Amino acid sequence: MASRKLRRSSVPADVCERLSRHHIETCQDLLSLTALEVMCLAGQSYAQACQLLRLVSQICAPKMTTALELWKQRADQYFPTSLAALDHWLQGGLACGTLTEMTGPAGCGKSQLCMMLSVLATLPRSMGGLDGGVVYIDTESAFSAERLVEIAQNRFPDHFSDRKRIVEMAGRVHLFRELTCRDVLNRLQHLEEDIISCQARLVILDSMASVVRKEFELSLPGNLVHRSNLLGQQAAMLKCLAQEFSIPVLLTNQITTHLGERPSVSSKWNSLEGFVLPGDGDSGYVTAALGNTWSHTVNTRLILQYLDSCQRQIIVAKSPVAPFAVFNYSVQRDGIQLEGDSNQADPSHQGTDPGLQPIRVRTGFNCNLTQVSPTGSHSRSSVS
Amino acid sequence: MQRTVSSLPIAPPVKVKLISSGFQYVADLCDLRPLQLSKEAGISQQEAVDVLQEVRGKRDQGVAPGGGLTALELFEKEQGLGSIVTFCSALDSVLGGGLPVGKTSEVCGAPGVGKTQLCIQLAVDVQIPLCFGGLGGHAVYIDTEGSFLVQRVVDMAEAAVKHCSLLAEDTEQREALKGFTLETILSNLFLFRCHDYVELLAEIYLLPDFLAQHPEVRLVVIDSIAFPFRHDFEDLSQRTRLLNGLAQQLIQMATQHNIAVVLTNQMTTKVGNGQSKLVPALGESWGHAATQRLILHWEGQQRLASLYKSPSHPEATVPYQITVSICNPLTVTSGSFHHSSIH
Repeated sequence: MASRKLRRSSVPADVCERLSRHHIETCQDLLSLTALEVMCLAGQSYAQACQLLRLVSQICAPKMTTALELWKQRADQYFPTSLAALDHWLQGGLACGTLTEMTGPAGCGKSQLCMMLSVLATLPRSMGGLDGGVVYIDTESAFSAERLVEIAQNRFPDHFSDRKRIVEMAGRVHLFRELTCRDVLNRLQHLEEDIISCQARLVILDSMASVVRKEFELSLPGNLVHRSNLLGQQAAMLKCLAQEFSIPVLLTNQITTHLGERPSVSSKWNSLEGFVLPGDGDSGYVTAALGNTWSHTVNTRLILQYLDSCQRQIIVAKSPVAPFAVFNYSVQRDGIQLEGDSNQADPSHQGTDPGLQPIRVRTGFNCNLTQVSPTGSHSRSSVS
Repeated sequence: MQRTVSSLPIAPPVKVKLISSGFQYVADLCDLRPLQLSKEAGISQQEAVDVLQEVRGKRDQGVAPGGGLTALELFEKEQGLGSIVTFCSALDSVLGGGLPVGKTSEVCGAPGVGKTQLCIQLAVDVQIPLCFGGLGGHAVYIDTEGSFLVQRVVDMAEAAVKHCSLLAEDTEQREALKGFTLETILSNLFLFRCHDYVELLAEIYLLPDFLAQHPEVRLVVIDSIAFPFRHDFEDLSQRTRLLNGLAQQLIQMATQHNIAVVLTNQMTTKVGNGQSKLVPALGESWGHAATQRLILHWEGQQRLASLYKSPSHPEATVPYQITVSICNPLTVTSGSFHHSSIH
């Protein structure tokens, strides 16, 4: 709407002519001026200038809705993740029309969770899915089609026993490999067409941080502002699409070391052995990357971190509908599974600023020999 | 001191013709007739009529445009306006009863600290009926970030209805409760979703008309004003100009229509002297835009609210929490609704 040409709206032709001499062609250009400027450029009186601005505003302004209308459409508002305790905590799952971010150290399971959610999105609604396609934008080449099929076959063995269904599911996940910032931006600018042609009900961008951090050297002056602007623009595009199509958008992020005092966390975490928060005693700690502005921009932030050698934790660090909570999970053949009791949310867990929430990383690694079963736990299923 | 023709709000080409025909001051135009003016200045007859109407309209208004108020009249008016409670008694006492109507307030905060929660709380609380100490008004919510999820509104609305029904003592209050249900609360919350700054500006231009059509609106929330303005601007001076224009329009709306305007702002990192700290976004000049400024921040795992700028109350900091239904202070006090009074 903002890029609509003035000529196509009901603005009188002579006014359009006068304005185009000053390069004011679209509604956006006109609304970026004050009334006095419009007076000078269009050669009109103050009252006429205000009237013109109001006319153009009516073209650009959003439609009004009430909270009651939104509530009545509530069936479409959440995408269940099939992790029952997490879904319950988040009032249904990932909220449609918003940006959900997953951040965490390398190897924690972010891409696994993305692939699991891709499978779920293609399932029919009766099974808790969204019955639609998935647009998967991959910048790290972490997507593995074999793993996708393995998750599908192990999580829903009855449904995917028929090979045709696997083919159909895999055909609905549309993968786009973008390796530079410019490519990602181009992809996002054309995402609307992709969503419509793929009939997508889920958009995944894995990951936002890798391209941006590769290309922006923050020690150079001006780059921080430039990077924030780019991230903001991309986030605004994604939010607009999420809301227009009423779909959830999932982004992944990385971690960074934050120099400064760590906010004090509850002592329960510090007492776990082997996996301490790095920077104990130092002046830095690990937290989510991309900065404070990005923490404002995402609507929901889920942090994945290590708990011990086999278990990991998913933290609800920022959410418009749920308080802070921690859930234990592990990565299995069929994707992610929550561990422990269904009622994980311990009220003694308190959060802090989601941009400064400390994240536990792996400091050592487990050297025990893995037993390989005779049938070969590494067998791959193939779809031919 | 006479008013010059060049200061009139008429079209610039017409102004140029009038001045070049020798009309310097408004007094020169007063006694002319349209045909005479159009011949002398070389302007069309319609333009001459417009100019004379403009000139005569100014003269009739008298010396003091808009009329003046004495401080006593303003005092009485402010007492009658009331304020919107936040259900958090510590925060309400710091603000002097709640968020004031007729003024613009800004709520700045770090991510995840509760700005959207506070805004949704206010949008529900403004609808509390008059006999319970609320304002019985409607709310306009302009969402630019997409954090408005209706489930949260439902939680808070149900809690507010329950709270009021526990407090209902006489028949008048019980009668009022019938009009204060979940459905009515949701239907009186008008929502606009703006995706960029152009839509936001357009909506603010049209808001006075909307408020005239819906005179029961007592609260306008913009959540947040920072997001659309932080990434699209190459030219920061244009951004400052647009923000100032926006601030002026909002203040005008607040006073003319007797509404409370609440704006949400983000925090940005400011690096200086080798250390970085969080300051409110949108620049130094934006700090002058709102009448009152409330800053929400984290202190470790505790959320704190600080009243940073206010013409009528001292600076103070209080802790608060976000619970399922209402914000509570750390020490539980028995709350009852009451209008603020200046004492």
